[in-house]
Amino acid sequence: MKVLAPISAYDELEMLAASGAEEFYCGIVPREWLDRYTGAVWLNRRSPKGGSLETLSELKQLVDGAHCLGIPVFLTLNAPYYTAEQMSWVMELARRLDGEAGVDALIVTDINLLMQLSQAKLNAALHVSSVAATLNTEAIRFLLQFGPSRIILPRSLTIPEIERIVNATRDEVEIEVFMLNDGCAFEEGFCSTTHHHTVGAFCTNLSEMDTDFERSGGRELTRRQNSRLRRNLTDYREWIWYVNGNGCGSTPNGLPYGPCGLCAIHDFKRIGVESLKIVGREASPFKKLASVRMVRAIVDQVRAGSEKLVTIERAKSLRGDRQHCDSGYMCYYKVEA
Amino acid sequence: MDWSIHVTNANEVRGDMSAPGAAGFDSGSKLAPIVEVTWKLIGEYFGAVSFTRCAYGNEFCEHLIPSPQQLERVLSAADEREMGLTLLTPYVSDAGIESLKPLFEMLSENGASEVVFNDWGVLNLLRREFPRLKPVQGRLMNKSLRDPRVTGVYAASDAPAPALVSLRRSNLDCTSYTGFLSGLGVDSVELDNLPQGVDQSFAEGGMKASAYVPFGFISTSRICMAAGIHYDKRDKFQPGAPCHHECQTHLLEYTYTNTPFGNRDQKFYLKGNSYFYVHTEAMLRGLFEQSRSGLIDRMVFQPRLPMMWERA
Repeated sequence: MKVLAPISAYDELEMLAASGAEEFYCGIVPREWLDRYTGAVWLNRRSPKGGSLETLSELKQLVDGAHCLGIPVFLTLNAPYYTAEQMSWVMELARRLDGEAGVDALIVTDINLLMQLSQAKLNAALHVSSVAATLNTEAIRFLLQFGPSRIILPRSLTIPEIERIVNATRDEVEIEVFMLNDGCAFEEGFCSTTHHHTVGAFCTNLSEMDTDFERSGGRELTRRQNSRLRRNLTDYREWIWYVNGNGCGSTPNGLPYGPCGLCAIHDFKRIGVESLKIVGREASPFKKLASVRMVRAIVDQVRAGSEKLVTIERAKSLRGDRQHCDSGYMCYYKVEA
Repeated sequence: MDWSIHVTNANEVRGDMSAPGAAGFDSGSKLAPIVEVTWKLIGEYFGAVSFTRCAYGNEFCEHLIPSPQQLERVLSAADEREMGLTLLTPYVSDAGIESLKPLFEMLSENGASEVVFNDWGVLNLLRREFPRLKPVQGRLMNKSLRDPRVTGVYAASDAPAPALVSLRRSNLDCTSYTGFLSGLGVDSVELDNLPQGVDQSFAEGGMKASAYVPFGFISTSRICMAAGIHYDKRDKFQPGAPCHHECQTHLLEYTYTNTPFGNRDQKFYLKGNSYFYVHTEAMLRGLFEQSRSGLIDRMVFQPRLPMMWERA
């Protein structure tokens, strides 16, 4: 079970590796893409200005540096789709990422790109992005025809569902799960909205809009029914606040908040999950550093054979604010103690 | 062009379909105006249409998968009326796959039926165990930006042409992809009409397209706001959590009051776990004009948001 960290610059390499990162992933958006498509069309799942490298030489320096430390680097080409014109360009980019930069794997969503990459016989392995919404074992069986070495499961699967999938596909493909930081209110692979800075994420945007409930069947809502729906909407908006990294806040010690799966690491080790993903290519170096340290601390404890309850207590103490953990809204996974 | 209507139960299949307006299908007061406008425009562009097929099931939530008994009743009603049946299926967990199997068995025994898949796992199951059923790619698998907050603005602005061209296309733009689908026995796909417009040129290669009116999906989630009502606060909003189909009791309308653009009156609708936009009259007219080119094989009329479910 590896700790997978986001990285967006060579300068971050040494500190993240020293803090416990065992795999890296990053993105690249060459200037040429931006000039042609503007910020309206994204090459990967982060805004062009959101933590992506710009040049192949920067990427090569990063990959070479990571390889010197024995750490693999994966690169995101995980837009939900590419048009025909884009596909030719992306395939050419992929060949250069593989041949010139030497990335260890490409993270892909678009099944058409996955298919073409599998036929291209690159050295880089293929990882299926969480954006591909691989929610069941049958879907993994379907995707295996393209030879991926890893499937990244969406955040929205429960621990029992993940366990069932891992048990059914063990020895055929690695499974990666989300561990820390950004949440998503929706099924990411089926959310057709943009996070463009002019409007922001749809889920958080909705929390600021005027709302009106309508009862089905043509009757008016009673005051009691309306009040109950309103209370539930208020709770939902609070949950969205947690999904959005507690309003992008931090603990009194300056540690980042945000959705978290630390308490589930014990279960993931038992189940046989291969990799724990920390989200946030666009985050500050400090947030990346703090995130890697938190995850690695729990992973080390689990590797050392710590009891599950002890691990959970340690995880909650690391988050630094018991109230938020106890809310239940900051957790990716519901963990049975 | 064929016409299909999205139904919730057998009684609707047996009912009067000569004028399936909002009143007969309980569209609700918020959505009734656009349903009525849609039906009026259908008459204006196409005259008296006859529905030869009904769409049944759900594309968005595995808790809304009908029971085998419910499907049997709808299937029987469709047979009586000599209408084809298209079963809509959602994205699913392993448990959802198990819920679909008896439905596919029934359809398979009944003869050749269409099944709309919105999950590669469902397609895999269909191909392996139910080769008699005809798989159709659902609109959740038709990848395109459908964010009505901004896509209308992109279409109207002076954005560079390559960006707008890209936004009007989808994964179907690549012949390698449509060829891949054909190789899997998929020769039909479902579409939403987009605020920025849809480039249907992919259909020139032989892929058949069905378009839905007047509702388009924006986003969907395994975490359902409505299902949270009956849970204690701490236990709310868990992925795939069991529910009592609370989504059937109400609709939530959002008004885009916080837009940075001029579209302050724009509405979005949440029904259960999924958000939808409604077509404007201009969007409907644009689609109906486009359909005259012959690139749309079927129009699917939804008299209400596609989240209704028949209580057993």
